Amino acid sequence: MAKMTLEELRNLRDSKKKEMTQRDGDKSAQIVIGMGTCGIAAGAKDAFDAFLEELGNHDIKDTRITQTGCMGLCFSEPTVEVAVPDMPRVIYGNVDANVARRIVREHIIEKKLVSDHIFDKPAADIISE
Amino acid sequence: MHATICDLITDLVQNAFEADATEIKLNVEETENNLKVVIADNGKGMSATTLEKAKDPFYSDGLKHKHRKVGLGLPFLFQTSEMTGGTAAIESEEGIGTTVTFNLDPANVDLPMFGNFTTAAVTLMTYGFKGNLTIEHSKDGKSYSVSREELIEVLGDLNDLESLTLLKQFIEGNEEDLKAI
Repeated sequence: MAKMTLEELRNLRDSKKKEMTQRDGDKSAQIVIGMGTCGIAAGAKDAFDAFLEELGNHDIKDTRITQTGCMGLCFSEPTVEVAVPDMPRVIYGNVDANVARRIVREHIIEKKLVSDHIFDKPAADIISE
Repeated sequence: MHATICDLITDLVQNAFEADATEIKLNVEETENNLKVVIADNGKGMSATTLEKAKDPFYSDGLKHKHRKVGLGLPFLFQTSEMTGGTAAIESEEGIGTTVTFNLDPANVDLPMFGNFTTAAVTLMTYGFKGNLTIEHSKDGKSYSVSREELIEVLGDLNDLESLTLLKQFIEGNEEDLKAI
């Protein structure tokens, strides 16, 4: 890939904008990746890259990916929270690149939970705040 | 310690986000014999006493998680530099900011791999903090620099999947140019 200037990035952005279909804000999926010391050490960046790639492969555009610090589930890092409209908000644990790809295919596309990686909610010392 | 230098850098830059900095500079300078990293922020800084405590892995200010008794970011840095004959220093002043500087020997066999700088840069730029972050990466005299403010101006919402994909392409292109002979 060639070096890109900010101007070239802007042009690329503008050309993509023309291709974009009208979005419905309420229908987009939200992915929150735990990127604290524990998440980083457990490979949260591999999960991040896998989400980007798999969503791109399936041409899914209306998704936001954000990051947060430690969610209090250090033992099950990388942890990822996924919110898809009309589905329960779920925290997944031990999300390596493969599980991230499964979440895109099963949870986001097929609307089925990836049951073997679900963690109910953050640890008590986090949610009692 | 962290598995890669880029993981260590990510962790240390996040400290600056949490110090409420409005201007953060990450400078990574690679030469054949040295890897120099400087992370400078204008955040809330630390007193000399707190700074000493922050080097202890069993110290945390308890603000994020009140029952948590560990804080591993800075200790991982000192562990890495001590184990590989490098140097690491932190200067901090309350209300002024903090600067973390370290120099590591790329030839040392105990040094962790450098890791994936593209993903580190993309995750840092899109971490969701209010201030500005400028990343400058140079290798053997070549360099590029980009700031979060510039990226937001060009791309809009950085956490939108399309922006993330374009941002990754942008950083990847610049990284490949650094490595090209």
